[in-house]
Amino acid sequence: MDFSQPAGENYANPKTCFFHVLFKAAALAFYILSALFFNNFVIIFVVTVVLAALDFWVVKNVSGRILVGLRWWNEINEEGESVWKFECLDQQSLARMNKKDSWLFWWTLYLTAAAWIVLGIFSIIRFEVDYVLVVGVCLSLSIANIIGFTKCRKDAKKQIQAFASQTIASHFSSTIQSAFSVV
Amino acid sequence: MSHSDTIPLHASSQSDIDEIENLINASVQSGPATVLPARPPSPPRIPVSSSPFIPSNLPPLPSTHQKPSFVPSVPSAPPPPPVNSHSSIGASGFGSPPNTLTEPVWETVKRDLSRIVSNLKLVVFPNPYREDPGKALRDWDLWGPFFFIVFLGLTLSWSASVKKSEVFAVAFALLAAGAVILTLNVLLLGGHIIFFQSLSLLGYCLFPLDIGAVICMLKDNVIIKVAVVCVTLAWSSWAAYPFMSSAVNPRRKALALYPVFLMYVSVGFLIIAID
Repeated sequence: MDFSQPAGENYANPKTCFFHVLFKAAALAFYILSALFFNNFVIIFVVTVVLAALDFWVVKNVSGRILVGLRWWNEINEEGESVWKFECLDQQSLARMNKKDSWLFWWTLYLTAAAWIVLGIFSIIRFEVDYVLVVGVCLSLSIANIIGFTKCRKDAKKQIQAFASQTIASHFSSTIQSAFSVV
Repeated sequence: MSHSDTIPLHASSQSDIDEIENLINASVQSGPATVLPARPPSPPRIPVSSSPFIPSNLPPLPSTHQKPSFVPSVPSAPPPPPVNSHSSIGASGFGSPPNTLTEPVWETVKRDLSRIVSNLKLVVFPNPYREDPGKALRDWDLWGPFFFIVFLGLTLSWSASVKKSEVFAVAFALLAAGAVILTLNVLLLGGHIIFFQSLSLLGYCLFPLDIGAVICMLKDNVIIKVAVVCVTLAWSSWAAYPFMSSAVNPRRKALALYPVFLMYVSVGFLIIAID
């Protein structure tokens, strides 16, 4: 009993959490510190944008699945229309997700976007249009992930409610049926 | 109660009693059994995604691989500590449905990479799907275009002897903004095209120009450069033609295609003029 409690407070997926934070922090750190060492805009741009793109992929495909059990993507259906698809784990496993993991997931998403906004404001003030481009790309990637996962979470909640009402209804009807068959 | 042995039960009431007992047992068992995640939770699956991802490339593989492995893990699902480590995602035993939610990371990487390759082949090389362009680029992705734009910018920047940073920034901004504006152009002309699909297409059509830029970087002769750029430019335009033209009204085809051609021509000039 005592052993299960401290284990429940820790992260359930430390490796995933680490990678989730790694690329974000690396992109931000490289952008901020590189101005001290490199004078070359191209390297700064390419490395920062590549790190931000890798982070986008990791969050969307790996840590979103593992830390909060959500996934979103876009498909084009037979009629040629674009459809956004959301997928989530079923209710029991969602309830089992580690609270600390999901706390870390959402807060780092929001903090990263806020940090890029602040850096963007700095570059605008200094009239460095090149760097505004870098910040713009990284910010759009962060915001895309935030929007995607928020929509996915709302969709998951709707589904859970629908499922709950469905099971209540089916349970109700089955008990009524069994009551009638007894009589 | 004590009379039960003296009162013979009627046959039908005995079966009724059996039925009731079965119902009771079933409801008792279904209680804890709903905790089993592997119990085919078809209700929760209904609302959401019908088929997790579309299919052109390796769809049957992950699901068929995982089905047999989930069967043995079902009995082990109830014990609480779900050790969700990176690669043993499959062991959390969710049955067949969330096969993109619980696939190992390596599967996701392979799936995305193969999607990039197949999209490239569909767009740039001759293939039977060219008559139905919307179908061809059904699973668009932006990784290929991203890579090609960055590569082209890097190549141009490397070839430039002065102002390397500006060359890169200009090339990147020109290509990215150009793709967005071209898509808006088609949409404003009343065409039916999906924004990201078109961005993806225009990015993949840069592949021939990438090859041209690399060749021009290696050979410095102007005549060779012009020849190579003309060939790759024609190839890019040929690749982009069916998608763009089928998206708009036939009378407005030229209005949609001309800006695309113009953008590729300007990129071609950038490649030739860099020294």
